[in-house]
Amino acid sequence: MDTVSLTIDGRQITVEKGKTVLQAALENGIHVPYYCYHPGISIDGSCRVCIVKIEKMPKLQTSCSTVCAEGMVIETRTPEVVAARAGVFEFLLVNHPLDCPVCDKGGECPLQDFSYTFGPDQSRMEFPRRVFDGEGVKGDVDFGPTLMLNRQRCILCTRCVRFMRDIDGDAQINIIDRGYGSEIATFQEEGVHSLISGNLMDVCPVGAITTRDYRFKSRPWDNPIAADTICTQCSKGCNTTAWIKAKPEWAKGAQLIRFTPRFNHDVNGYWMCDIGRFEYHWIEGDNRLRQPLEREANLGQQPISWQELTSKLGDRLAAAGTSNPEGVRFLLSAHASHEELFLFRRLTEALLGEPNAVSVSWRYQTKSQPAGSKFIVPPVDAPNVNGARAMGLAPGKVGPVDNDAKADVSALRAAVDAGRVSALYVFDPGPEGSLGDVQWIVDARASGRLPLLIVQGVVLSALARAADFVLPGASYVEKEASYTNDQGTLQGATRVIAPPGEAMEDWQILVNLGVALGVPFTYTSAARVRADIAERYANEPGLAGIATLVFGRPVAARNWLQASNPSERWKWDFMFQDMPPVKGHVDPSAVPMPIGAIPLKEVK
Amino acid sequence: MSFHPKMTYGAAFHKSARDLDPDRDQGPPFEYTAENRARFDRIVQRYPDAQRRSAVLPALYLVQYQQGHITASAMRYVAGLLGITPADVEDVVSFYSMFYTKPVGRFVLQVCRTLSCALNGAERVTEELSAKLGIKPGETDPSGTFTLIEVECLGACDRAPVVMVNDAWHECLTPGDAAKLVDDLKARGEAALSGCHHVVEKK
Repeated sequence: MDTVSLTIDGRQITVEKGKTVLQAALENGIHVPYYCYHPGISIDGSCRVCIVKIEKMPKLQTSCSTVCAEGMVIETRTPEVVAARAGVFEFLLVNHPLDCPVCDKGGECPLQDFSYTFGPDQSRMEFPRRVFDGEGVKGDVDFGPTLMLNRQRCILCTRCVRFMRDIDGDAQINIIDRGYGSEIATFQEEGVHSLISGNLMDVCPVGAITTRDYRFKSRPWDNPIAADTICTQCSKGCNTTAWIKAKPEWAKGAQLIRFTPRFNHDVNGYWMCDIGRFEYHWIEGDNRLRQPLEREANLGQQPISWQELTSKLGDRLAAAGTSNPEGVRFLLSAHASHEELFLFRRLTEALLGEPNAVSVSWRYQTKSQPAGSKFIVPPVDAPNVNGARAMGLAPGKVGPVDNDAKADVSALRAAVDAGRVSALYVFDPGPEGSLGDVQWIVDARASGRLPLLIVQGVVLSALARAADFVLPGASYVEKEASYTNDQGTLQGATRVIAPPGEAMEDWQILVNLGVALGVPFTYTSAARVRADIAERYANEPGLAGIATLVFGRPVAARNWLQASNPSERWKWDFMFQDMPPVKGHVDPSAVPMPIGAIPLKEVK
Repeated sequence: MSFHPKMTYGAAFHKSARDLDPDRDQGPPFEYTAENRARFDRIVQRYPDAQRRSAVLPALYLVQYQQGHITASAMRYVAGLLGITPADVEDVVSFYSMFYTKPVGRFVLQVCRTLSCALNGAERVTEELSAKLGIKPGETDPSGTFTLIEVECLGACDRAPVVMVNDAWHECLTPGDAAKLVDDLKARGEAALSGCHHVVEKK
């Protein structure tokens, strides 16, 4: 690796060749504020707040767009730089409205924070602020199906323009007009139509772009709990943060308030798609299964206790298995985690000894994205197809080779249609429709070709309504579960909230059912199941490390800055937690760490 | 798309105040005439394939020569020819003051208002033209002959104040000259366009 050595604030620093001064400073814990720079998109240099003094250069330079050179001597805290930076902030605030109390970004807004830290304490501006579409939130305009745009809050950093150009591949946003009249706009106000439009809210350093989903719903200090988890709505496995509302007066409503992407260089970078970001309302929706149901003659589906259900279902399954082992079949969604797939496999082996009693299905749905997109949403709408392959339940190889495969349940369907199946157990912990087409099961049940249908799932779908027994399970944010994504990477989804009503984590349901059927299950936690998987599949690369998988747990933020926009969260770790006063001319090394400050995290 | 959350904001309340009139701005479907298409093909050859987008300015000039102003349909057409998005084209069109998104008159009078011209009485020239034509800067007269615009530096500071009529400079104008220019244009049409002094002196 070629390196260059330079001096920043008197510190000798060696960085990789080609890095910019800003990157070198941030990587070495030297605080330089910035807006238009975003590590995931191209460099622009339009906001000017990252200016530094570079020896032998006549003017201050933007550190984000200056590449490190051998022997550079850089000062970031001299009076000249501090004064110039404060001047830039004064200009940024010339037109920015002071509507922080009603702005969605308030509390996690870099402009707010940097202005407090680096900016002047008051404005000398005597003229009215520039207003485009009306004062305050009246100025919000449609910005496509997912977003709203408030032009007066915009500081024209062009991060959104560059995101659409670089990452989305379809430059739908541009700056129209020029100079003082410049504004962010889409062609003829058509709005942003993109599968990854939600990321624009993350890249916007002010409250100009907000999502319709999160608008006016909450503020960062109202969401003190955020859990690092993964998204399971497709095979990509984006790393995300689930945000939970915790205000007492809201305790009765839904807890999940939003999902935001979490940086993972190898999986999703800084981004996530709109499906994972916005399609979570079903988790706490009215259609969730909250208690076990049993179909009774003439009465339809009636609530039943878990104990009764387990024993009744055990009897029916055992009877069906004894009389006709080939007639008992299992249809699992690829939304099933390793733990669940493993338990189903053990259950069928013990009950039937039948290797092809289990079929795994998933929905395959090609997403339309621009040709040049850097963030491709895969067509497989299930997180664990590779997990099923690792356990021998689905055809194909683990890893990126067989990603384009569609599920094949034709054999099972033929058997059901021919009336050869006496009991079908469907496990579908994903959102409605993620199992693919299941109408044929509903039809078979209605026509009597399928005598017994058991559904373990999370939503009261048409399939669940047709079932004789319904077992309410947990969705992907309600259990600790592991998945292997389309690249063959093993990841864990965290238990963020509790399953609703009487619903249980699926491994527990299966263990209880197994015990009722006489299978000697001794697992007392999902971790025990994983330990057993690790033992039995020791040589399977897609499952390597499953016993020691770390799950992000909900962590209470120690201060409000921690609970900030997670795609930028690494920045807070740098910028604020031991922030010395920089408005005066204080030697930062002489300032002690504040009590309770959290030490800087290493950035990879 | 089905995955988008549903929010019921009153559509009218949240409409942008950007002055967009679909009927006017979209315009009829646009296509270059055969002649202009041939010109465009020649222009595009000046740029490497990877920088095809660089031809956006001449391509837009061709649109303007053909139909006087640039409609949204024309922006879409140009974007399609150059392999860029309509937003990219709108960015360029809205940036430059020489592209018109609304219909303009046969003669566009562009009065320079930057320093040299302003010091030499450009404002008096604007006032005179305004009074003579009965329109304010930025407007077109009812007959559709004249459009009056104030613009920034036209690059003829040594002969200030300067008025550019379509593509021709008229220099060292007094208010009296400006009034005469209008009469001249009315009487003789395009023949009254003098061109800049370089052109005049060469003759």
